[in-house]
Amino acid sequence: MGAPLVLDNVQSLPFIGPELTLGAGILLLLVWELVAHGARKRVGLLAIMFATLGAAGAQAAFALAHDAPAVSLFGGLLASDGFAHVFRVLFAFVTAVVALYAAPVRADDALPGKRSTGEMYLLLLTVALGLSFMAMSRHLLMIYLSIEIVSVISFVLAAFSIDDKKSSEGALKYVIYGGVASGIMLYGMSWLYGATQSLALPEIGARVAAMSAAQHGVPPVVFLATVCMLAGFGYKISAAPFHMWTPDVYEGAPTPVTAFLSVGPKAAGFAVLVRFFAEALRATGSLHASPWPLVAGVLAMLTMTVGNLSAIGQDNVKRMLAYSSIAHAGYMLLGFAVFSTTGTAAIVFYALTYCLMNLGAFLVVLALAEQNGGDESVGAFRGLGTRAPVLAACMAVFLFSLTGLPPFAGFVGKFYLFAALVRGGGNFTWLVATVGVLNSVVSLFYYARVLRSMYLTPAGASDAPVVVARRHTATAIALAVPTVALGVYWAPLYDLVARTVGMVP
Amino acid sequence: MAVDLTLVSFFALAALTLVSGAVVAFSRNIIHATVALLGCFLGIAGLYVQLSADFLAAVQVLVYVGGTLTLILFAVMLTARIEDVRTSNTSTGLPVGVALVAALLLVLGKVATTTAWPETPRAPMPSTAKLGHALLGDYLLPFELGSILLLAAMIGAVVLARRAVKRNWEKA
Repeated sequence: MGAPLVLDNVQSLPFIGPELTLGAGILLLLVWELVAHGARKRVGLLAIMFATLGAAGAQAAFALAHDAPAVSLFGGLLASDGFAHVFRVLFAFVTAVVALYAAPVRADDALPGKRSTGEMYLLLLTVALGLSFMAMSRHLLMIYLSIEIVSVISFVLAAFSIDDKKSSEGALKYVIYGGVASGIMLYGMSWLYGATQSLALPEIGARVAAMSAAQHGVPPVVFLATVCMLAGFGYKISAAPFHMWTPDVYEGAPTPVTAFLSVGPKAAGFAVLVRFFAEALRATGSLHASPWPLVAGVLAMLTMTVGNLSAIGQDNVKRMLAYSSIAHAGYMLLGFAVFSTTGTAAIVFYALTYCLMNLGAFLVVLALAEQNGGDESVGAFRGLGTRAPVLAACMAVFLFSLTGLPPFAGFVGKFYLFAALVRGGGNFTWLVATVGVLNSVVSLFYYARVLRSMYLTPAGASDAPVVVARRHTATAIALAVPTVALGVYWAPLYDLVARTVGMVP
Repeated sequence: MAVDLTLVSFFALAALTLVSGAVVAFSRNIIHATVALLGCFLGIAGLYVQLSADFLAAVQVLVYVGGTLTLILFAVMLTARIEDVRTSNTSTGLPVGVALVAALLLVLGKVATTTAWPETPRAPMPSTAKLGHALLGDYLLPFELGSILLLAAMIGAVVLARRAVKRNWEKA
């Protein structure tokens, strides 16, 4: 392939259509929130939100489906390639599903703490915009700015139920942890800039390659800078040891927000991580060439183990799912540790399946807690198999899929991750893979506790049948069906992902 | 022996920044910490001047010394009972912390002194025109993204600060 096409500011505008749409949606929501009232306001909010996300997602999907050529935008600040398009579609989808969770049912129906839905929608759209830019960034300045947009607005979203002490506490921890992580990441970026005199990832890549060749190995300064930057990236994907904020924030935040944080920023964090290591460090899976496979492998093992072992003792299902989301970040790091195209495809495919099953699991928690006054413990699920058969069946599908059992999407996703890892070869990858398999067994234990509560524990005398809002049941089914379908017939989606994950050269 | 004035002023500014920073971090009195921040900000502004980043130095003084610091001072002064904070977690882990920081500083110092940093001669001041061109040219997108970030942060701040309801757990 020849030199990549680099476009200037004006030429680039057509390529950021989805982001421009999101920006327009943000401004429209802001105005509508001020001028409209009553039922008209509610309908308008929903219409603006879903029209914006639909239009943004459709534009990215169109580019994806037509194999739009990969170009570098804004003089090398952004990349418009298949890798970015997949994530842009994913983010539009995730935001739309979460908006559905948080949708007001009646005109007077506000979110916990009497907050207006319009404000939450506006903030959600802003995060979606930041997520899209994260997936496209190929410049340290853009990486930092987009991560900050996502972080700052996530702090507000986490504190959204103002009437809840846990929400405020979680948000405060999130702010402090996020500030420190951003600071360390910026410090790392400044070292990298000092050593390579560039902020653009491809140029950094060229300099680092030259320095590595001259010194027969990765220079210490680059290693140090990368470790610092990993603090920022690891915080976004909640990888151990940067995961401390996750359980408190996930438990305290309103459930729609938790569902959003567990998939959106995590996937975007992986997008940045993969692009940074591919473009700026030109990492390869060879253990002799660089320390990166070792670093990533250790990070993956640590993250999986910490997540799974901590999840075992949890009684609050939201908190348990928080630890499980840490574990899943570890699984995705397995695909990252080999630094190959197959690994990247496996990560993207897993992110797609993970978003279905995780959003679904949180939806069931949300629907149930809405009915029984906010009880999110494992005990609240007792007898759900008879009290709400459809919801329980959907939850079972999500949990089996999260465990990684066939024939569900989670199994296929995990299979590709392990396959990419083992294909890397070498004793170390086998060690990492073994730890991964052992972790999957551990995870069955805590997911099964919820299943046992749903189907084997009889409902108490006081437990009435659960009346779930019809839209929640419909959404749960809509998420469960593809979770099963992708478990038996995944080839088209995987082929699409594998074909399109190429980056700007 | 000729004294290199640049070097002397660098060490003076660095000392000012570091000592003020240490006071900010270690002072038990939050008012002292806030005022010490002034020295930290001014020291950094001086370092910017030394790096011939004149515009950045001016912005540092205007925004941080003039704006942010005043805001922090107001926040500190207006917060009720800020002096008698109950510390719920008393496990400081001081020895481990000191050991970790010492090890970190050793590693950072070692890497910083052994790396062959690329050096390029810097164009003389003023840099304002160049910055302006960069912000409205090559870096227009980050500039706009920054304004979106500020807009959303402002909305977020209003969302959090506006008391539509009294927090239940505060009534008790």
